[in-house]
Amino acid sequence: MIDPRTRLLLLACAGLLAVALERPLALLVLALACASPLLLLGLSATWWRRGLLTVLAVVWSTVLSQALFYAEQPRVPLFTLGPLTLWREGAVWGLAQSLRFVGLSLAGVALAASTPPDRLHLALVRLRLPFGLALMASTALRFLPEVGRELLVVRRARAARGRPAWRRSPWAWVALEVALLRPVVARAWRRAHALAESLDARGFDPLAPRGVRRPLRAGGLDLALGLSAVALTLAVVGARLLYLLYTADLLYLPRARTLYAFVRAWL
Amino acid sequence: MTGGAPPPGGISLRGVGYRYPSAPALAVAEVDLDVSPGEVVLLTGPTGCGKSTALRLAAGLLQRHGAGEVRGQVRVGGEDPATTPPGQRVRLLGLVGQEPGDQLVAGTLADEVAFAMESAGMSPREIEARLPALLSAVGLDLPPDRDPRTLSGGQTQRLVTAAALSAGARALVLDEPVAQLDPLGARALLQALRALADDGVAVLLVEHRLEACWPLVDRVVVMAGGRVVDQAARAAVGPGHPLLGTLRRLGLRVPATLDLADRLGRPVEEAERWTPPPAPAVAPLAPGEVLLEGRALTFRHPGAAAPAVRAVDLALRVGERLALLGGNGAGKSTLLALLSGELPAPGLRATADRVAVPQDPDLALFCETVAEELAHGPRERGARDPAAAVDRAARALSVADLRDRAPQALSRGQRLRVAVAAALACQPRLLLLDEPTSGQDHDQVEAMFVALRQAMADGALVFATHDVDLALRHATAVLVLDGGRVVARGAPGPTLLSLPAGVPLEVGSLARLAIAAGRPGASAAELLAGAP
Repeated sequence: MIDPRTRLLLLACAGLLAVALERPLALLVLALACASPLLLLGLSATWWRRGLLTVLAVVWSTVLSQALFYAEQPRVPLFTLGPLTLWREGAVWGLAQSLRFVGLSLAGVALAASTPPDRLHLALVRLRLPFGLALMASTALRFLPEVGRELLVVRRARAARGRPAWRRSPWAWVALEVALLRPVVARAWRRAHALAESLDARGFDPLAPRGVRRPLRAGGLDLALGLSAVALTLAVVGARLLYLLYTADLLYLPRARTLYAFVRAWL
Repeated sequence: MTGGAPPPGGISLRGVGYRYPSAPALAVAEVDLDVSPGEVVLLTGPTGCGKSTALRLAAGLLQRHGAGEVRGQVRVGGEDPATTPPGQRVRLLGLVGQEPGDQLVAGTLADEVAFAMESAGMSPREIEARLPALLSAVGLDLPPDRDPRTLSGGQTQRLVTAAALSAGARALVLDEPVAQLDPLGARALLQALRALADDGVAVLLVEHRLEACWPLVDRVVVMAGGRVVDQAARAAVGPGHPLLGTLRRLGLRVPATLDLADRLGRPVEEAERWTPPPAPAVAPLAPGEVLLEGRALTFRHPGAAAPAVRAVDLALRVGERLALLGGNGAGKSTLLALLSGELPAPGLRATADRVAVPQDPDLALFCETVAEELAHGPRERGARDPAAAVDRAARALSVADLRDRAPQALSRGQRLRVAVAAALACQPRLLLLDEPTSGQDHDQVEAMFVALRQAMADGALVFATHDVDLALRHATAVLVLDGGRVVARGAPGPTLLSLPAGVPLEVGSLARLAIAAGRPGASAAELLAGAP
């Protein structure tokens, strides 16, 4: 069992790498690495099917939109249909952007799905986040699936009482979609109230010291994972910085020519 | 046990009152109430009478967090719960609110129970030493690392009770703890509470379900209009006791056998042997048009190990009122979702228009006012005379006077009635209701079903419930589920008298008498009056 603090560190590293990396292949590797913890969670085939479809939809729509509207020069046309042109550089840029988003989202999903909220909360507290704020963050995470389920129930309840609103007018549809949030918000408010009462009744005090039943303990695996992730992130970020300084004509190190070539080709 | 000196431990309320901000009148006024260590006190009353407010005052919640006006004095174990620091308060008093699922704060059973102990600053070793006894005290013999969200409703309720008491509290207050539990789940929880009281804990319980609580409480306190209007030791309440009259006057359901004994003027033991006059023969309903037919309905929720509903066959005809019965987790809600079309059901053929009201009626209310809520369905469906449909539904469910109010701001019972009225205004031929009695007092449920029977006379009604009396009284047929399978079906009386072992439903002694007399679901008064 990996310590939740290590998980948060891995998430932070994934975030930094997603920002630092530019090449689609490197971002694809990062996205696959972020998705790998999900393999251990025993998720259903339906979940994987839906997840894959969502990822494909995100990648496809981003690539297409960027390829269509890419305005930088130079640019090379990939495909032209009447007034519409798809630009190769835009497609590559879109692919990188979408893989960046997908990778980070998968890392967040992996963290949320594999870490009990109370352990996450404890980790956030140990990382010096105020107790109340940490509790709020971990509780919000815990109730997120519940809110999604409730939105589904609201939509079904509404559908049972009338034809699709878009048949009437687009405005009616938009207004109704907004209105459908009302019961979910009201329910969330009631749930928050019940939870607050429960916390109060169980002696929760954000300012008072608390006992801990299961203190967090980082082991050898945590140390190895954490150090590897930090070393890799520092190496990648450092290499990218050196390359940026070189391309901005601020610093050129003749001995780093192989590194510049590696960054240009792979990172 | 009010007036005079308060008991040395336990809970004591003296002249307690509360006025909510911007409310013109006190919601609770001049309440005197004592709960001694080892005593279980049932606080009951009609919906909106102020009993939940009194409970929150007893826990010191409104004093600490309410913006309204507080009156009187509350003591728990001699201390004021409003001013006691949180770490010490958990050693005094435990509170269990409504909706146990919303009160879970941790990811495992053990962490859930440990939370209050952590607040009290106990060491990990002390916490670990106390955990097994706490879980066992409420009958939860489950792995401590299990996720609380995987428990049944009854188990969750017992878990939050253990969590409330974990730091050593000697007083416990609970708000409608058995409202959503099946009869056996309710009995198990109440027996756990009785055992805690026998161990010296003072237990104050707010509840509508008198029948379930009656055998296990020591005293019954009745509130109405924000005040305590009557109370008595339970053991002293027999036939002829004035408390029974108070309960009836307030629309609360007197425990059935006691009700019969009181009306007969005989001891309870004799009343149980009384034979009511037989009912006049009623011609069976001619089979009407089939509105919905399902063959081998099966559904497995994503990620679930087993199907929630397995191979259910059924047909619904005009004039039928089908009760889906079963314990918590039996598959009633899933079957209802299949019948309503919310979940895919390849074996279902529906020829009639269907509308379902979800278990949580709040999720069916999305308009700004009740009037808009009721008008939404008829308008969207292009009803010929939407205003008339809305009027009929509003009158039937007694929500006409709430038209300008925001649905989400209404009381729980009112929200349910608005959700049902909104469904009814769509003029469906098939109406499906999921647990429509939760949080309602007896009179409200009765009025709603009388209205629904009339409104759905040309259609069919399906309702999921674990209230056997409701099914006996208002259903024309029952379908009993256990583990997703149909284990019994047919006419309510005979079917419920011959339930297979293991089904967590109970038929009370008065209900048995009524079934024997050919009047399933009849109240004691109706049996005596010889009404059909």
